[in-house]
Amino acid sequence: MTSPPSSQTAPASPPAAPPARSARGFFGWMLAPERRGPLLVAPAIATLVIVNLFPLMWSYGLSFFSYNAKYLKRPPSWVGLGNFIDLFSDVDVWERFQNTALIVIGSVFLQLIIGFLLALLFSTEFPLRRYLLMLVLAPMMLSLSAVGVFFKLFYEPTLGFIPRLVQEFTGEPFVILSTPTKATIAIVCADAWMWSPFVMLLVLAGLVSVPKYLYEAAEIDRAGAWRRFRTITFPYIKSLLLLALLFRTIETFKIFDVVYVLTEGGPGSSTETISVYLFRVAFNYFQTGRASALGYITLFAVIVLTSLYLYAINTRRAEPG
Amino acid sequence: MANPSNRPIGKSGWGRTLGAAAVSIVYFFPVLYIILTAFKTRQDALAWPVKFIFTPTLENFVSVFYRTTVEGGAAEATGFGLYFFNSMFIGGTSVLLALIIGTAAAYGFSRFPLRGNETYLFMILTTRMMPPIIAIIPIFVLFRIFGLSGTYVGIIALYTAFNLPFSIWMVKSFFDDLDRDIEDAARMDGSSEFRLFRKICLPQVYAGLAATFVFAVILTWNEFVFALLLTGTQTRTVPVQIVRTIGGAIGVDWGLLSALETLFIIPVVLVTFALQNQLLRGVTFGTIRR
Amino acid sequence: MQGLKLGIAAAAVTAGVLLGGAVTATPAQAKDIVINMAAPDWLPTRFMQEEFNRTYKAKSGNSVKLVIDFIPWPSFYQRVAASLSSGEKKYQMIVTDSQWMGDFVEGGHYLKLNKYIEADPELQATLADMHQVLKDTASSYPATSQNFYGFPQFPDNLVTFFRTDLFCNAGERAAFKAKFSKTLPCYYNEWEQVDWDTWGNIGEFFHRKKGEKLGAGTADDEFYGVAFQAGKGYDFSSMQINTLVWDYGGGIWDETKTAPAAGVVNSPIAVKAMEKYLDLLKWAPPVAKTGQMDIFVIQDLYMQGKVAAIVDWVGLAGPVVNPKVSKVSDVTAFAQSPGARKEDGSISRWANIGGQPFVLTTWNNDEVVHEALDVVKWWLSKPTQVNFAKAGGQSGMLSVINDPAYMTYAPWNRAFVDNYQWQKDVWHIPEFFPLLTQQQEQFDKAITGQITAKQALDAVAAYQDKTLKEAGRIK
Repeated sequence: MTSPPSSQTAPASPPAAPPARSARGFFGWMLAPERRGPLLVAPAIATLVIVNLFPLMWSYGLSFFSYNAKYLKRPPSWVGLGNFIDLFSDVDVWERFQNTALIVIGSVFLQLIIGFLLALLFSTEFPLRRYLLMLVLAPMMLSLSAVGVFFKLFYEPTLGFIPRLVQEFTGEPFVILSTPTKATIAIVCADAWMWSPFVMLLVLAGLVSVPKYLYEAAEIDRAGAWRRFRTITFPYIKSLLLLALLFRTIETFKIFDVVYVLTEGGPGSSTETISVYLFRVAFNYFQTGRASALGYITLFAVIVLTSLYLYAINTRRAEPG
Repeated sequence: MANPSNRPIGKSGWGRTLGAAAVSIVYFFPVLYIILTAFKTRQDALAWPVKFIFTPTLENFVSVFYRTTVEGGAAEATGFGLYFFNSMFIGGTSVLLALIIGTAAAYGFSRFPLRGNETYLFMILTTRMMPPIIAIIPIFVLFRIFGLSGTYVGIIALYTAFNLPFSIWMVKSFFDDLDRDIEDAARMDGSSEFRLFRKICLPQVYAGLAATFVFAVILTWNEFVFALLLTGTQTRTVPVQIVRTIGGAIGVDWGLLSALETLFIIPVVLVTFALQNQLLRGVTFGTIRR
Repeated sequence: MQGLKLGIAAAAVTAGVLLGGAVTATPAQAKDIVINMAAPDWLPTRFMQEEFNRTYKAKSGNSVKLVIDFIPWPSFYQRVAASLSSGEKKYQMIVTDSQWMGDFVEGGHYLKLNKYIEADPELQATLADMHQVLKDTASSYPATSQNFYGFPQFPDNLVTFFRTDLFCNAGERAAFKAKFSKTLPCYYNEWEQVDWDTWGNIGEFFHRKKGEKLGAGTADDEFYGVAFQAGKGYDFSSMQINTLVWDYGGGIWDETKTAPAAGVVNSPIAVKAMEKYLDLLKWAPPVAKTGQMDIFVIQDLYMQGKVAAIVDWVGLAGPVVNPKVSKVSDVTAFAQSPGARKEDGSISRWANIGGQPFVLTTWNNDEVVHEALDVVKWWLSKPTQVNFAKAGGQSGMLSVINDPAYMTYAPWNRAFVDNYQWQKDVWHIPEFFPLLTQQQEQFDKAITGQITAKQALDAVAAYQDKTLKEAGRIK
């Protein structure tokens, strides 16, 4: 929609045509080959600048102020690096990073294992495979807040089916969310349940890319299953496993909805992740400046992880196969 | 668009089906449990042992839309129809906009690389990867200044930008996959660039565009944080209402909640089935295709 | 095709603009006035909407519509705070928790009503008829001052819900007597003698394993004695902990003085009271250990027949006696909540007041303000209040609650009215939400056994002093 209709009937300009002032005037100038790229991406860039970049710059500015967004008439006051210094010296903030790290490590690890096993299970063709795959893939597509609500019910100590099932065997009430460790595990399980199918998809993609002749050759060599896996299969899925690891790390690092609904960060503050804490600083404590500063620290971490991810993508593309 | 990522590599028989079925059903059990609960009465819902055989009732689904809140009072509309409409309208409109803008940009990035093309793409991906909560504070203030809070325009504009990075990366991945020889041949034949895009490239990615559209709609459909803070009474979406329903007036009405969830997830499960071959690309924002 | 797509998009955006515009529009014509009111989603506000639609006729002759935005409790504060600070100017009236008063008065959102009250004898009469406790806690800011901002939409306090089939069972009563040398309370006057120690005895006594005898039958599942709020969300532990602290003679920071919180919040008495609270939790259902036993969870557990007695808000009592949702609707009675026994043998029963005033916002024109005040007068008029009480609501108007007939409207009304003399409230200062959030987190740590009562209260006191000093409320 970036070209006027007239260009449809206009004679083709060869790719190397001189841009120059052709007879077509302004449109001609604008549609010159070297401006096609910029023209096409301009609307997207403009939208992102207005709705994303501008607010981000704003929040960058706010991070140097003490400000409460709730009070319309009270102006922000300059505190320099105060918010950042405050944040880095606050044990509460470090605790939140630690909580987040524990959940990320636990959940991503579990996702890799379950995802890998699921992929092996679904790696061959069998009757009804497509339908069964749907059941396994469904959790990934659900809303995070809905999953939080599910598990809140499943974990409820008197009414939920998981504690009751355990109680049938132990005879003791089984209270899942009662200690920091158990609550963390509970969140990890909910998150891993949701996202293991994601890892499965990636690993399946890796398994598909293994050329058949390698297996045929291995059969002639009478290589054992483990050796076959290690020397043939694994090299093809390892880059994808790395991608899964990075991608899931970035996503889990942001975990908000599941925690917010399931534990509200409790018991105490032991499962409060950095996103939940950020939300609290911004909308319970209404420390807008401080929240912006914390947001920037978080953004920095995400940028680093995203660069790593893209680096891994490009490395994989460069590889043969 | 071929090259489904989950194409199997060998053949197994019904034995594997049995094993996989057992695993799948266990894996799907949480969802199944919610769907079953939605059809149970309040008495059955929390009964132990879990009731798999029961007389199904539609009363929970009715109370999603109409319920009596005052003893002896008339059943009132809960407004849920509106929230469903909002979820669809806001999701559909913003994704359509994002797709139009994004397709243009994706074509640009794919066929006419700019200087620093990779950097642009990286920055675009970053805006998608960052926790939405970071942007929400200034957006909140921005909405206040422009009076956008609680309006459709505000939330649609926001979701358009939210879906744009995803659309660009996804659609670009489809354009990148195309066979360039066809385009070169057409160019030799004297096709204009616009014709090339319109008649040759675009038709080849229609399926991809459809997949992108559906994926983005699901992402938007599921979004909670922005919706919680920036939608008003008239523009509220379903996820917000679901979380709100937890603290109703009559304890936690799990049957009602399950009915809500069921209505909310069934479209998603069906779509997942239809999109199986595009899932990998979709969930990695088009960064991984195979 | 593309033109069509753009057309659709444009139409959609236009529709969005129109709808969005309609939502934020203020009443343009004098004859049609719409009052949008934010309110929590529960019976007291649902009833108000129904009653309004059924009976309200504006005296001015205008066509006045009350449109309540029902917001479920857990996100109520955040949603209202977001709406007010987003500047959308959506609501003409707001049902507000009393704690929010300072926050939003200072934010410039709530309208001071003194000038309207002075000009309106009817409003003066309404105010005069209000219970003093409500004037102090639900109407004025700063608390107990003469600056009026709100009127009680719904007054609320904490009462005991109990199972008559258990507490009045002769066998259980005899067994309780044998075990604790005390009477198992069944009648209202027996409950008047229940202190927190007895509450603990009840908890211990009614804790039954599956298959054990319970009342006239057997427990079909693990059964628990007592439950009361101990949740991390919103104020779902502070309200009960404050209650015990006051009962035992302690205090929370006094906002009418400029004294520091340290030494008050974490006084030895307060620590002892909180230790008692934590000790009582061992008789509660296991969800107590998760720090998620909030006011809705205990209500639900009670209605599911899992617990013998709970202390909860009167506002949540309605469903408990509704056979459609409650398994114990026909065997439930109500009493005053327990207290602490003083040295002279009497019982101190201070409790944190609940309920919500409703206020007007500052951006309405005079016409809307007057119509809104007429709605206030209508709501607080005796006929409306009596209808409300009959439907399960509560009143704060002396002329209504002092009428002997009031006791007959609902089974909990006697306890509710008797409680009036025992109500106090938390801080109303603008910093209340940070204070509450930090306190809830510390209390949650104590409830889940990560720290002791003393450590929790010390941390709360330290944070309060820091926050209050920064806000200039103490020196």
